[in-house]
Amino acid sequence: MLQDYTPVLLHVIIAVGFATVAMIANIVLGRTGKRNPTKDSVYECGMVPEMAGQPRFSVKFYLVAMLFILFDIEIVFMYPWAVVYQDFIAESGTIILWSMLSFVLILLFGYVYAIKKGALDWSR
Amino acid sequence: MIDPVFLEVSVVVLGIFLLMAEAFGLAKEKSTLAWWAIGGLAAVFIGTFFIGPNSNSFEVSGFYVVDGLSLFFKRFVLISTILVLVMSVDYLPIVQRLVPAERPGAGSGEFFILPVFTCAGLMWMVSATDFIMIFCALELVTISFYIQVAYLRRSMSSLEAGTKYLILGALSTGFLVYGITWFFGATGQTNLVAIREVLPLIPVANHPAILFGLALVLVALGFKIAAVPFQFWVPDVYQGAPTPVTAYLAVASKAAGFLVLIRVLEPFFTVPSFQNKLFLALVLLALLTLVFGNLAAIPQTNFKRLLGYSSIAHAGYLLMGLAAIGDAFAGGAVVFYLSGYLLMTFLAFLILVPVTKASGGDDIAHFNGLARRSPGLALAMLIAAASLAGVPFTVGFFGKFFIFEAAMNQGLYLLVLAGIVTVASGFYYYFKVIRAMYWQPAPEDAGPVAITKTSSVAIFILAMLILILGVYPQLLIGMLP
Repeated sequence: MLQDYTPVLLHVIIAVGFATVAMIANIVLGRTGKRNPTKDSVYECGMVPEMAGQPRFSVKFYLVAMLFILFDIEIVFMYPWAVVYQDFIAESGTIILWSMLSFVLILLFGYVYAIKKGALDWSR
Repeated sequence: MIDPVFLEVSVVVLGIFLLMAEAFGLAKEKSTLAWWAIGGLAAVFIGTFFIGPNSNSFEVSGFYVVDGLSLFFKRFVLISTILVLVMSVDYLPIVQRLVPAERPGAGSGEFFILPVFTCAGLMWMVSATDFIMIFCALELVTISFYIQVAYLRRSMSSLEAGTKYLILGALSTGFLVYGITWFFGATGQTNLVAIREVLPLIPVANHPAILFGLALVLVALGFKIAAVPFQFWVPDVYQGAPTPVTAYLAVASKAAGFLVLIRVLEPFFTVPSFQNKLFLALVLLALLTLVFGNLAAIPQTNFKRLLGYSSIAHAGYLLMGLAAIGDAFAGGAVVFYLSGYLLMTFLAFLILVPVTKASGGDDIAHFNGLARRSPGLALAMLIAAASLAGVPFTVGFFGKFFIFEAAMNQGLYLLVLAGIVTVASGFYYYFKVIRAMYWQPAPEDAGPVAITKTSSVAIFILAMLILILGVYPQLLIGMLP
């Protein structure tokens, strides 16, 4: 069984080997000269950079992104559920409905909490 | 009679109720939330004594098991959570100072609500018999811990601890999932009972795949229980996290991790070819953890950091018990040790909170002259330190004694020797606190340490239990599953 994984191992060896060879070749062939401040500076289409490269974002963006992902995952979770729903209900009864409803109910409470705490209030 | 499934469900419902109460501002004082949580968890704790047979289809599908062991640990987790909440009420002023808030007190209610969700996760974790269930419960626990560790947003060390815990925790989760896929690939099962049945039938050619999976899972759970060499996060996270959260991490998270470890490793101890390799790995882990945890604790000057290293050291003794699992009483010894560990660790942290509030820090130097300032607290701390070190007539002594006995019966003489030597070094670093309390002068302006009624009651009960069980351990042994 383990022999089946030989291509994977080969792939790993080639990937690591290629990266190593490329980096070493860069040092050997690239004739890296002496560094100076002009060479190390940020090149932005010939313009002089004006401020720090990483401006600070408002935390609201992260909050909204996080909430979006939470409810996005909920939908992702519902697709396979909806696909097997009919077959499952014919076999084992309505437990599939109640388990999904309790899951959605918990998320609903989370949603109410987020609204009451002002997580979706952009002006705050 | 209560269906056991309802235990966790009612804890989750309690958590949601508290969350809504916080969102709609039902509780005037934030500490009211904590009292509601304590009341609810106490009710669930009483409920654990009226468990009927599990009628739910969960058990049939093998996800969830309720046996003596899991029931014992459910109670263990509930008691830990209640103690954490008691401690949190005491800790509230520090939280409110270090959490930015628009209105006074805003943003500190969740400090009492998150432990309730962690509690539900831990309760599921100790009942889980399927890797999927173990993973989900573990995630509920870890994600709520991420928030709790980084709760003090104005404290740089708390944020640092949160980042460290998040990154290393996510890494260890990755190891766990990868390990599970290897198990699934080799056995076609995620269920531990099914894996146990399939395991002896696996052809020898597939054994390396299973051993690889086992190693990965061992890494992930080693992270949870703070075994060397997966302990790098422990000192920083323990020092930076809010003190009640540190206590929670040190006791409940570690205990649940050990129980999951026992459940996961159990099938592999039944097959001789795995048994030998697993045994070697456990002995090595135990040896490293014992030596590193105890030696690194010696130079510490911060009390929370010291307890962090001490928690690594205790994981070493527990792993020693796990390596001796072939002995009839080894499992009982591990559970006894964990119970004693709960008592003494919570006692130490319960005393640390008022001392931190009164002296402004959690270094050992802040304990200076405590014996003259508050003799009662100092005496309780003396009991806690003595028990952590393993002095006779405390529960810590019997915990170590039973583990060593089990290891001797299994012929692990090297481990026992390392254990005895490291206990000696333990005496040194635990007694630094005692020296500070009894032999160092108190600061000039220091009066008695203020302490709430509930905390002093909890401290009294824990100290008495340590002494009683140190003289009469049969009381606890009778309750062991």
